[in-house]
Amino acid sequence: MLKSFIAAAALAVSAFIAAPVVQAQEVLKVGSECTYFPFNFRDVDGKLKGYDIDVADEVAKRLNAKTEYSCLKFDGLIPALLAGQFDLIAASLSITPQRKERMDFSVPYRLSIGQFVAPKAKKLQLFDASNNVLKQNFKGIRIGLQRGTTYDSWFQAIVPEAQVVRYETVEQMYLEIKSGRLDAIMTNPMKTYLEFLSKPDGAGFEVVGPQITDEKYFGTGAGIGIRKGNEALLKRIDTAILAMKADGTLDKFSKLYFPFAIYPIN
Amino acid sequence: MSFDVALILQSLPQILEGVGLTVQLHLISLAAGTLLAVGLALLRISPNPALSWPALVYIYVFRGTPMLVQVAIVYYGLAQFEMVRNSPLWPTLREPFWCAIIAFTLNVTAYTAEILRGGIQGVDRGLLEAGKSLGLSAWHRFTRITIPIAMRLSIPAYGNEMISLLKGTALASMITMYDVTGVARTIVSRTFAPYEIFISAALVYLALTWVIQQGVKFAERYFNRHLRK
Repeated sequence: MLKSFIAAAALAVSAFIAAPVVQAQEVLKVGSECTYFPFNFRDVDGKLKGYDIDVADEVAKRLNAKTEYSCLKFDGLIPALLAGQFDLIAASLSITPQRKERMDFSVPYRLSIGQFVAPKAKKLQLFDASNNVLKQNFKGIRIGLQRGTTYDSWFQAIVPEAQVVRYETVEQMYLEIKSGRLDAIMTNPMKTYLEFLSKPDGAGFEVVGPQITDEKYFGTGAGIGIRKGNEALLKRIDTAILAMKADGTLDKFSKLYFPFAIYPIN
Repeated sequence: MSFDVALILQSLPQILEGVGLTVQLHLISLAAGTLLAVGLALLRISPNPALSWPALVYIYVFRGTPMLVQVAIVYYGLAQFEMVRNSPLWPTLREPFWCAIIAFTLNVTAYTAEILRGGIQGVDRGLLEAGKSLGLSAWHRFTRITIPIAMRLSIPAYGNEMISLLKGTALASMITMYDVTGVARTIVSRTFAPYEIFISAALVYLALTWVIQQGVKFAERYFNRHLRK
């Protein structure tokens, strides 16, 4: 009697332990900046949204996985990924040769470009007619950019003599260009158009010079970042992104925020 | 994740370029804050509430809010007002250096005033009464008895404040400055090696703290020289 009771209890316990394991869904820990509107940001209710988030969530869905986000300053994302604090980065991270030495990337899901924004009144001439940098015109002006970004490495290489001021977020740079501490900023023109130039605050400002897409610094686009040595997962992510491009999902996500597509067409 | 000991040494020379700025921020705001603190401490111990209350409120506000918030208010907050931008102060407030100095000084003043108050009120009443009975004027009692003893009593806490301000100067990196922490963060964003680079920065701060500690030790020995056998 007692023996069979113990046996039944043991069976019940083991069933209880085993059950959740069978059902467990894969969890992908994703690092993002969470303040980079409209790519990754929190809405008024504190919900994480944006193009990067949409793409990461959709990729996870197609991999039958769940996403779990951590928010970090942009310059802390790659170190945290390398230290194993999360599995992926979805933060409009451009696929550059320099970053590829330390980590892997998915195929691009977003274009990567940079452009200058300056007060209209300053009439800055930073490029000549054939879009070459006019180095002498960078003298004596202060340029703001976000620390650790593609803009940062482009500047170090192309105009090392420029006076560069580094910020944690793009929003700080808008404040600084409005107050006059900065003469120009270099940033993502899609983003700046949407949240600054098209707003009353940005009325006195304009983009200056061409869109810069120099592949050596801006890469082939922005992709999902992953630690080296995860080839199997990376392959599944690539397959999902390529399928999302083909079936119009990326187009749909683009148009949630922009009047145009923001992913590489070819 | 590999750990590259050589990188700690390699990054040191670059990080040392930030030391000048860190030391400047520290010394200027410490000197200015200490001067202001003497006045504030005297207001604070005044029996007249019209003098002691404003001092109390000031100390409460600046000790009760994070220095990070104070720096952000001075640097980003003030710059948003047209009035400030059109004022003759703007060329100064435009510079992150002076914004940091202002915020650090206001902060040091509050803490140091409380340290000095503790020192002044810690002076034994009996000594002051003895001075009075010997016919010393109030001014002489203050300069010959209160100040020397109060200084001696304040040194350990003041040494603490000096060290804590040194580490507080790292906040300058938040407002775009290349102090020790600012340089370290910029190197991290290029090398993606936070452990090595920040350890290197930590070594620099430790060295600076050692210098302060030695200075405090020396001052303590000097002011307590009558106690040595």
